[in-house]
Amino acid sequence: MSWEQFVYFAIASVLLWAAGAYTAWKDKRTAAVAFTVSGLVLFFLFIVLFWISLERPPLRTMGETRLWYSFFLSLAGLIIYSRWRYKWILSFSTVMSLVFICINLFKPEIHSKTLMPALQSPWFAPHVIVYMFAYALLGASFLISVFLLFKGGKTTPTAMRSSLSAVDDLVYAGLAFMTFGMLFGALWAKEAWGHYWSWDPKETWAAITWFSYLVFVHYRLYRPQSVRPALWVLIVSFLLLQMCWWGINYLPSAQGTSVHTYTSFFSSPEAPDAECVFRFSALFKMV
Amino acid sequence: MDNTKRKPWKLPEGFAIGGVLVAVGFLMQWGVGAVDWNVFSWPANIIVLAVFVLVIVVMHLLRKKVYLFRFIGHYQAAIPALVYAVVLTIIMGLTRQEANGTWLNNMLSFWPFVLIYVYIALILGVIILKRLRTMFNGQRSMFNDIPFLLNHFGLFLALTTATLGNADMQRVRMIAAIGEPEWRALDSHGVVKEMPITIELQKFIMETYDDGSPRRFASEIKVLTKTGKNIETVVDVNKPIEVDGWKIYQYGYDTQMGAQSEISIFELVCDPWLPAVYTGIHMMLAGALCMFVKGGRKRV
Repeated sequence: MSWEQFVYFAIASVLLWAAGAYTAWKDKRTAAVAFTVSGLVLFFLFIVLFWISLERPPLRTMGETRLWYSFFLSLAGLIIYSRWRYKWILSFSTVMSLVFICINLFKPEIHSKTLMPALQSPWFAPHVIVYMFAYALLGASFLISVFLLFKGGKTTPTAMRSSLSAVDDLVYAGLAFMTFGMLFGALWAKEAWGHYWSWDPKETWAAITWFSYLVFVHYRLYRPQSVRPALWVLIVSFLLLQMCWWGINYLPSAQGTSVHTYTSFFSSPEAPDAECVFRFSALFKMV
Repeated sequence: MDNTKRKPWKLPEGFAIGGVLVAVGFLMQWGVGAVDWNVFSWPANIIVLAVFVLVIVVMHLLRKKVYLFRFIGHYQAAIPALVYAVVLTIIMGLTRQEANGTWLNNMLSFWPFVLIYVYIALILGVIILKRLRTMFNGQRSMFNDIPFLLNHFGLFLALTTATLGNADMQRVRMIAAIGEPEWRALDSHGVVKEMPITIELQKFIMETYDDGSPRRFASEIKVLTKTGKNIETVVDVNKPIEVDGWKIYQYGYDTQMGAQSEISIFELVCDPWLPAVYTGIHMMLAGALCMFVKGGRKRV
């Protein structure tokens, strides 16, 4: 099995996932789950056969990592769908999977390209994917809260309550995924760089965002009836999340200390920065 | 539930307590200077942790006598504490963190920052005891208590042991040349240390992609320990090996020589508190799983 055969598996899987997404919109839950599972099995079959023919886990190149993105995105979509039954989630996960499949199909020249050694880790795909889902879920909760704050004047109390409980569910699921992402990152960092938490700018902003969503969760429990302050906390939290996600790339304080290089915390005269070739800075530009 | 006689303080009082801590922090910063984390090396850290737990227990026992102790087990205290943590950590995120410079550049040893995180740990400790007590009195259901304890105790454990254990962590670098057993290493200040481990480099491995960018860095090494172990192994980036409590990482090589490098640089890390921190992290992972399954369902 090689990249040559990938296209057939990819098209079949995407069609199955799309069928799953469509039936989810139509509220045919069993069919949606069945289609998505079939797509996952087929896609995983390709990964296994490819693995066998490579005689090593397909985790080394960008192209190989993208295979896992596509697989885990769809899997996470299915898990969230089974648990929460959001109609849109399977469409979202299918589109996201398709994006990575398309890159693999239309940019074959980068299949075998440079996944730096530090990124060749089984933690890489799960770490990135759970964060993608956290961002998607928290993004959805942000949209609902903006709607409720600025357009929700005419909403009936019943509609308000159900929107709010949707927001709560989304935040709990999103916060759970965010916790996974952060802690997977910590476990990976220990294997790759010798420490699980180094207050690198990305980590610092991840902590800020995490605490900020904790403010929301606790405030909801403290004053369930006081809605507007809670929704404002959610909006601020989502803005902080943007900072963590891409904002720090433009932040002067994070420049030069180079995201995930850690030189500022462990540098010594006999170890010039150039030597830190294994410490990467590319991870967050890649996703 | 919300009996104003029993709980007269609200969020403003919670923010006031945080504000007092920040003010005290500024005074400490001015009076005694930045927090010196090095003083927490063994056994000071275990003593501090024991005293901290004792303080939490005493606060829990005196909760009926001292209103403040009861108050910090409530949302009105926890929410402001989290807000202070967000704000102080934002300051840290907006400023460049480096050894030289003002407190703004050294938030980790800035008293207000440290005190707010200690306060969060204190709140965690108090609410954990509070929940344990109600749990054993049969007032709550396991369905709610177990996720609560996993999340809160996991964070308490990770936060306290990572912070206090940091002074015991040793990180050194060893430069090993082919065929020459090396047992000396350099710490972060460039001081030479003799290690209980000898590393002899057999071969440095560097593989590149077609475009010349690095694909693999690894070293074939022989490890001899004072405890008498004799190991031949390969250390890859992302795949450290562990010997006698030390993790050995592939760290660098002679960049001038590239694949022909005759030396390999290793980082050796010893972190005796790691099992405690990892216990906390895994509890939080299990707690996050519960949070995902339970969702925002009302928990009263």
